[in-house]
Amino acid sequence: MIEFREVTYVHQNGVKALDGVSLKIEPGETVAIVGENGAGKTTLVKHVTGLLKPATGEVLVDGKSTRETSTAQLSRKVGVAFQNPDHQLFSESVEEEMSFALRNFGFAPGLVEQRVKWGLELFGLEEYRKSSPLVLSGGEKKRLTLACILAWDPDVVILDEPTVGQDSIQKEKLAGTIRMLAASGKTVVVVSHDIEFLWPMQPRLVVMKAGKIVGDGPAALVMQEKGVLDSARVAQPQLVEFYRALSERPGEPFVDPLEARRWVEGTDR
Amino acid sequence: MMWLTGGFIFRRGNSAYHRLDPRVKLLISVLMFATTLLVKSLYELAGVLLFMVAVAAIATVLRRVARTMMFTATFSVIIFVLNFVFTGNLDTSLLYAARFVAIVVSTSLFFITTSPDELEQVMKTFRLPRDVVFAFVTAVRFIPVMFLDTIQIMDAQKSRGLELEKGNVLRRVRNMVPILIPLVVNSVVRSGELAEAMESRAYGAVPRPTSLMEYRTRLRDRVTAIAAVVVFVLTAYSFYFVFPARIL
Repeated sequence: MIEFREVTYVHQNGVKALDGVSLKIEPGETVAIVGENGAGKTTLVKHVTGLLKPATGEVLVDGKSTRETSTAQLSRKVGVAFQNPDHQLFSESVEEEMSFALRNFGFAPGLVEQRVKWGLELFGLEEYRKSSPLVLSGGEKKRLTLACILAWDPDVVILDEPTVGQDSIQKEKLAGTIRMLAASGKTVVVVSHDIEFLWPMQPRLVVMKAGKIVGDGPAALVMQEKGVLDSARVAQPQLVEFYRALSERPGEPFVDPLEARRWVEGTDR
Repeated sequence: MMWLTGGFIFRRGNSAYHRLDPRVKLLISVLMFATTLLVKSLYELAGVLLFMVAVAAIATVLRRVARTMMFTATFSVIIFVLNFVFTGNLDTSLLYAARFVAIVVSTSLFFITTSPDELEQVMKTFRLPRDVVFAFVTAVRFIPVMFLDTIQIMDAQKSRGLELEKGNVLRRVRNMVPILIPLVVNSVVRSGELAEAMESRAYGAVPRPTSLMEYRTRLRDRVTAIAAVVVFVLTAYSFYFVFPARIL
């Protein structure tokens, strides 16, 4: 379990990135963290692996304070795939890149080989096994970073903006992987601006604004709180907007989708 | 790491010193630098350092200059030890070590109070080639960006179980490879993107482009420059003619 207790964090430039954040994430939960740029989402997840230590308050991972545990120890339990894949790729080949963390964690050579194969197959990267990770496309690099994290099978998987640079098919595959992780009992935390990607998964939604949590609950409920979402500059999913508009429409049901669209856009009112 | 670099990177300020013409700030730094080379005793050097601290206080960058001093002091220890080992003279070794701190502070005072735009204007004053000026100013402008990159890369690799502080010296050096490769690759990619962006905004289209800002020296700049020169001449005179030559 991950628990934030009244956590405050102030950047060196004096900006308060987290302001009294309290949050509990139970094992096996799928949580999406949304909010405008600078709301404190990435700062929040960096606290889970002890990369940042709270100025006040406490972060507990499986009951242990992150102040007393090293990032390497915490990373064995918590895998974070950061936003920019170029910040981690350095090896001569994709397979070496994937095995880097496994070797750091002391996996046996046979198991390393097995996990690398599994990860490459899962993310469709087998053909690049011997290629340099630096020559992959943006989307492929992103998938490789995810494969690198999942390879060591952490209990908690944190994905920071995983859909950036991914086409619709890869997004669908990614959503499938998240569902698979959730089904296998992993705790999954997704930081994203991509509401349309998050919505079908129906995660628990945590809305952040200026270092504070302003909304927390099942996505189906939080996504209808337009005031909260507007204040945090989070768009409602198109489907929610559509149904909201439908519910306000008096009279006849729609005849065809185009009529519905014209009505929502206000061109035939 | 940011704690260390904070002593070298420009941050916007609104002090009287920040508002000075950048050429005058350069003159003050050059004169302070020259003075540190003229000192012959630790007492004189202490006086020069005190003057620098006063300038830092006027520029409201005292804390950052203190960081610079602390950071430089670590290198000064090496200078002191090497001098002491090879010359066996404690006083000279102390003077050289302290002089290094003063030299760094004198230059750091210029860089932390002068924006890259001002730096560009100063370099243009010396009629340096435009490409050289652009390359230098861009390098200065990108230092904070590279440090942020470094921190993010370190975070990403630590999250994959990399322990930078683990092992002997050789192992620690090897541990830096996963940090340095992405940093260099990112920098090369960024410089290529920057070049394309500059070209697409007509960089180099005309041999003599116009300038958004032109500095005109005001009365306060002239007064400050004259005062700086007078103080320097008096200090240099006192070092050689008022106080006898000595080390301590």
